[in-house]
Amino acid sequence: MDFQMASLFASGAFIIIGLFAAVFIDNLIKKIIGIAFIEEGANLFLICLGYKAGGVVPIFMLGMSADWFAANSAYPLPQALVLTSIVIGASTLAVMLALAMVLYRKHGTLSVSEMMGDEK
Amino acid sequence: MNYLIPLMVVVPILAALIVNIFGGNDKTVKAISLVVAIAIPLIAIFAAVGVQYFGGHDPALIASLLPSNLVGTLAASYNTGIVYIFENIERIFIFLMGIVAFLAVLTYFAEKKKVSGPYLYLIFMGLASVTALMLSNDIFNMYVFFEITALTQVGIIVASSTEDNYEIAMKYMILGAIGGPMLLLGIGFILGTIGSVNINDIIYAISNNFVNPYSPSLVIGFALILFGWLYSAGLPPFHTIKSAVYSKARPNGSAILQGFSVLCMFAFGIAMYKIFAYIPYFNTAIILFAILAMVLSITMSAMEVDFRRMIAFLAVGELGFIALGFGIGTQYSIAAALFQATNEIVITALLFIGFGTVYYLTKTSDTRKLGGLIAVDSTMTIMVLLGGFALAGVPPFNGFQSKLMLVQAALDAGYTELAVLAIIVSVVIFFTFVKAFHTVYLQPKPKDLKFAHEKIPKATVFSVAILLIICLVLGIFPNIVTDIFITFAGGLI
Amino acid sequence: MIEVVVIIVAVVSAIIALLQNDLLKAAILTGISGFCVAILFQLLLAPDVALTQAIVEGAIVPVFIALAVLKTRRREA
Repeated sequence: MDFQMASLFASGAFIIIGLFAAVFIDNLIKKIIGIAFIEEGANLFLICLGYKAGGVVPIFMLGMSADWFAANSAYPLPQALVLTSIVIGASTLAVMLALAMVLYRKHGTLSVSEMMGDEK
Repeated sequence: MNYLIPLMVVVPILAALIVNIFGGNDKTVKAISLVVAIAIPLIAIFAAVGVQYFGGHDPALIASLLPSNLVGTLAASYNTGIVYIFENIERIFIFLMGIVAFLAVLTYFAEKKKVSGPYLYLIFMGLASVTALMLSNDIFNMYVFFEITALTQVGIIVASSTEDNYEIAMKYMILGAIGGPMLLLGIGFILGTIGSVNINDIIYAISNNFVNPYSPSLVIGFALILFGWLYSAGLPPFHTIKSAVYSKARPNGSAILQGFSVLCMFAFGIAMYKIFAYIPYFNTAIILFAILAMVLSITMSAMEVDFRRMIAFLAVGELGFIALGFGIGTQYSIAAALFQATNEIVITALLFIGFGTVYYLTKTSDTRKLGGLIAVDSTMTIMVLLGGFALAGVPPFNGFQSKLMLVQAALDAGYTELAVLAIIVSVVIFFTFVKAFHTVYLQPKPKDLKFAHEKIPKATVFSVAILLIICLVLGIFPNIVTDIFITFAGGLI
Repeated sequence: MIEVVVIIVAVVSAIIALLQNDLLKAAILTGISGFCVAILFQLLLAPDVALTQAIVEGAIVPVFIALAVLKTRRREA
């Protein structure tokens, strides 16, 4: 199994672990950690797509010809996308944690089933 | 270069930031918000149709600079930057969304003496992101603005200080945090197959058989994007949470939230239709979810006693009609769906703001405790009734025209059952609305009903009147918009 | 060889983080997992993404979670 395939499996593992946590674990903070894992898995998946075995980092440096660079560099588009998506993931997480703190202050528990059971 | 196109996104973002800085100073904030809110529809009217290549990444200019081993390949024709496309159809939607946002901001100022900077910030940020969602021709860019829209929607609920709003916000946020990465994964599958996130490039690669159109990765990508679309549009299985979100926001907030949902649904729906319409199960899948949305939401709205929940479920059920039009997939049905989406923004804004006055007056939304409100303001009562008629599809309002178009399109395409279903659902909507209207406004006033405010602010009456006039104009002269829609839908197929 | 180790550490620490009863430990394990993914990004020829990932998922996110845990309750049950 080559490196790219292994990384793809890792991203799949992250997504499945995260989905499991987000759906089945009752504790709010752990749900949120699970969601962070889903986002991490999606980012890893995107980065894997651009990988090129035996290639170079997609930064154009002196001494490279444009043709050689185009043939050998990793694909930079997913990397540019993932930069944005990491930041989005972090901000979503921050908002969720803030909401979790407010909810804890209101209900005195982090258990989702107890929290949502309170409303009629 | 048409600088008005990026300005449509830049102006609301700037306004959001400035309003947040001036948070304490009421007069400045009010002035800035009103000026910006009226500026957005004006920009949308005056901007010329065109394409904006960000960073000057015009593919025609770049073609000459390519390395030799890329010349003549598929990659040579790709767009390398974000592209915004502005056509007449975007003009209509951005204009209407701007008008709704303006009226919602106006209503907010009239009902609240002390305005909150963050709330206005969220409204403008959301407006900017749905505008960008409409204009963008790049699915990753759409994903970014989809996430921002989801965050602002959560923010609007949190800032609304109704009971249980934090719980609903948290639920919506968790579902959104699952839906968002799924959408990103779907985009990843498309990117991995085709190598570009620009919609035109994707269509070019698929239609010229550079990739196998039925390859599993494209189909998985479709399924994941469909999931994200269902979340953003509030179709089943997300209809319950969506209606809860609407009912927990302030009335003007719900009007804007519904506009956001419709625009998200429109933008992703069109993108999906452009890319994936060739997949055999595309139409079936969308029609299935549309039917579920219509039937489930309408049934649940008929059982509600809380009138805000009732209106919220009706609004979500109406989204099913839009999805139905997309699902049938003929030129006429897509035009009908777009017309229905236009009407949906206006009519539900009217109903949310109009019925919101009941909550403003009495601070309760339980229909069992309400009654006799026609005595307070009969003008508003009549306007809400007419708005409900527009929702249910009674002539001469716009709801009638779009539903007629939809039923005709279904009949033309051979889906007689769907036409019958659409009519039945409209009738149920009518009865549900009349029941709610009767209990709130017409039945005798309960003795223990207390009023928090004596009168409805003039600005609210004005807003509802403007929305009603738009309904009437679109109902009597539907050709203003339908001609554009039919041309646009013809270009899609 | 190092790739396989990094992948295994990333996935296993993610699983352990979710099995942990102590939420503060879970936060730290999230950081370890995020940092391993950052190394993986470096190995996958994406150095600038790796930098961002190391800062955001390796440091900021665990700190956020830890702050939220300190403001609420440390034990899960």
